[in-house]
Amino acid sequence: MRRTTVFGIPMQTRTARRRLVVSVYAGLALLVAAGWGLDRLQTTGVYVYFAAYFIGSFVFGGYGPSGLIKPFNGRGPRVQPMPSSLVELQLRMTGALERPDPDAYRNDEREMGRRDRVHYQAYQAICVLLAAIWFLALWELHPPRFVPAGLLPVLLYLIALPGVLLAITLPQAILLWTEPDLEVEAEPDLRTASH
Amino acid sequence: MLTQQSAAIANERANADGSPGAGGLYNRIAVLRAERGLSRQELADAVDVNYQTIGFLERGDYAPSLALAFALSDYFGLPIEAIFSRRPFRPLSEQVYGVDRSGGSRAIP
Repeated sequence: MRRTTVFGIPMQTRTARRRLVVSVYAGLALLVAAGWGLDRLQTTGVYVYFAAYFIGSFVFGGYGPSGLIKPFNGRGPRVQPMPSSLVELQLRMTGALERPDPDAYRNDEREMGRRDRVHYQAYQAICVLLAAIWFLALWELHPPRFVPAGLLPVLLYLIALPGVLLAITLPQAILLWTEPDLEVEAEPDLRTASH
Repeated sequence: MLTQQSAAIANERANADGSPGAGGLYNRIAVLRAERGLSRQELADAVDVNYQTIGFLERGDYAPSLALAFALSDYFGLPIEAIFSRRPFRPLSEQVYGVDRSGGSRAIP
């Protein structure tokens, strides 16, 4: 994990992270329902997407610059070149320019394995939605008689939007759901404990 | 001493029923750490992994890659099979001094 708190709420325990995942998806479901009631998600659907994008980038992490999960690509924040060496010198003297801790963004082998595993699991669920979208699109081109007119585009949209939301949040949600409780801090020095 | 004994007992098996953890291997990492007075963070820095991963290794919930196993082997100065095993390790006290679980001792020929 890159961080252990979300808005000041500790997330070291799996229970807390599961509550976060449930809350996020319940909130997104409410947004979708509200958007549907307002304008059939024609405009509000975009805002729902941005809400999910914000959550995926800044709360869950993984694909964004911040969040609980380390970047999936293992890259640290880009270091911007200083406009002047004097500016850099002053920033370093005040301690404002500190090198990012590699442990905050670099995944070790276990974390990369977990990353790959949750993407595999999420991929299966998203593929089911994609197949449903394709099937409905096929019906849209050749609508069967028993399907009321105007229903297929609505169904398409109602499946495509959650599909997009899951695509940008599901791997992180699975990771947050399944990772065991984090150790709050590293063990104390055993040299003092053993004497 | 108590820390080493506790670590040794805990390391005999990854689960209370004698089965290994999810990683499928038994290990002596906790014992070796206790012998050298290392924290998980220090060992993690030495082999270039997150200290949480050291915890997963000790509990047997993660099986290391060959590269990580060799890194641990080089760091402890022991062969890999002295650190990891598919079968439960015998307690070091039993191996070295021939002390069985009932507390009795026998002379090692």
